[in-house]
Amino acid sequence: MSRIAARVLYFGRTALRGISASPITSAVAVATIAVCLVLVGGFALLVFNMEGLLDRFGGDLHVTAYLEPELSDARQLELAEVARSVEGVAAVRLVSADEAFERFRAGVARGADYLDGLGENPLPASLELALAPESQSAAGMAVVVESLDGLSGIDELSSGQDWVEGYLRALALVRGLGVGLGAILAVATLLIVANTIRLAVVARRDEIEILSLVGASPAFVRGPFLLEGLVQGAAGGALALLLLFGLFHLVLPSIAFGLELVLGGVAPSFFSGGQALGLVGSGALLGLLGAGGALAGDLRS
Amino acid sequence: MKFGRRLTPGAAPGPGGDAAIRAYHVSKSYAAGSFALRDVSLEVGRGEFVFLTGPSGAGKTSLLKLLFAAEHPSEGQILVLGRNVARLGDRAIPDLRRRVGVVFQDFKLLERRTIEENVGLALDVVGTSRREARAKVFAILKQLGLQHRRHHHPLSLSGGEQQRVAIARALVNEPEVLLADEPTGNLDPDLTVEIMDLIASAATRGTTVLVATHELGLVGRYGKRTVRLEAGRIVEDSRPRVAAP
Repeated sequence: MSRIAARVLYFGRTALRGISASPITSAVAVATIAVCLVLVGGFALLVFNMEGLLDRFGGDLHVTAYLEPELSDARQLELAEVARSVEGVAAVRLVSADEAFERFRAGVARGADYLDGLGENPLPASLELALAPESQSAAGMAVVVESLDGLSGIDELSSGQDWVEGYLRALALVRGLGVGLGAILAVATLLIVANTIRLAVVARRDEIEILSLVGASPAFVRGPFLLEGLVQGAAGGALALLLLFGLFHLVLPSIAFGLELVLGGVAPSFFSGGQALGLVGSGALLGLLGAGGALAGDLRS
Repeated sequence: MKFGRRLTPGAAPGPGGDAAIRAYHVSKSYAAGSFALRDVSLEVGRGEFVFLTGPSGAGKTSLLKLLFAAEHPSEGQILVLGRNVARLGDRAIPDLRRRVGVVFQDFKLLERRTIEENVGLALDVVGTSRREARAKVFAILKQLGLQHRRHHHPLSLSGGEQQRVAIARALVNEPEVLLADEPTGNLDPDLTVEIMDLIASAATRGTTVLVATHELGLVGRYGKRTVRLEAGRIVEDSRPRVAAP
């Protein structure tokens, strides 16, 4: 076995011994890290879902141009050609008034019988404009709408531009709140871990002194404390992940209506494997940094 | 026991051969005008056994602290195993300490660790594999008659046994220099001889040994070179006379 492996084993043994020597202090540190990460993770989960929704709808963004009633077929085709030439438009589909009515009928399902009483089709023909990938945004939609606005034969233009802009503002707000809260809680976590490690250093003064006497380098003395911080942070991250998973599945049904307003009826999803690892890794990193801060300049003698 | 020459206090050592320790006009002060050591010059050869004696506050512990780089001298130079301790950087100190074993009056054992773990600390530091460390610890504990106690904790051992564990920890890495600061200060007279015999045996295997003690009876029993400190100065450096052929 190499010397490095021997040292890593020593660090592991010593760190675990340190944690088990002060279980309450360690448990409080892990729990505090977990609570901080649950709050940050909750915001992250909301942001990821909102971003996911935007991505999902982003690929489906389109502009609809409703045509004036009684417009001739030739003019309808002519307008379709004009629309096809607009920058940012990938494809144009002419939807006749009859097709629009059939779609509506299929959409209302059990209410379809009531439509039979209408007598005549109230729906206009329209042009459905699919946007090119580079125009799948609020700005891209604005360009297309401006290009078609005022053309003779087009009665009304409809796009999700306002909705997308509002949603992006809401997303930025949530993201900003998450980042702000995350920064504050990260500092709190760092201080808690640093305090825990400082207590461990004080409790193990004798050990540090003896290690130093037998020729331990400062890095060798610091190693187990850093590992202790890292383990506590990772444990806090894992606990936070577990709590979030529980909250996600237990609490979600009771707040489904509120979520529907934010997520637009799309079923929310939990963290992916990579994101879950990222949460645990964030805890570990916070633990490591907190321990590093506690040890900086503390073990020089 | 016969003692030899007396040195003029503060005199430079004579031309030594292969010295493990060389101190040149070393002074140490902790406060302005108050010296723990004053103009101390000393040379200890490799494999030599030296008693450092003197009353409390004479500077014995201060000199030992300088030798294992726990402190830096205020003036002068100290060479330990060829390394200038006065100029040793923080990163070089661990390397020196791995070559210098230290034994203290209060044993400095970790109460929550077993005897095996306490002794093994010196091997953990140099990255010895666990299997090799166990074998080495067992061997040194066997030499000191403590192999059956290796899974015990220090507080379940007698004072003499605890000091033997401390000696085992100091010797397990086969250091070139062994420093002992009042190693028998907390022990009964019978145990004192037992512990000092163990320390003296290290010198017979080529380790340079420097023992600080104020027990003159103990010094007389071994007939070794004795350096006497008073008020931070060397006032006597006595070597045993070599019998005429």
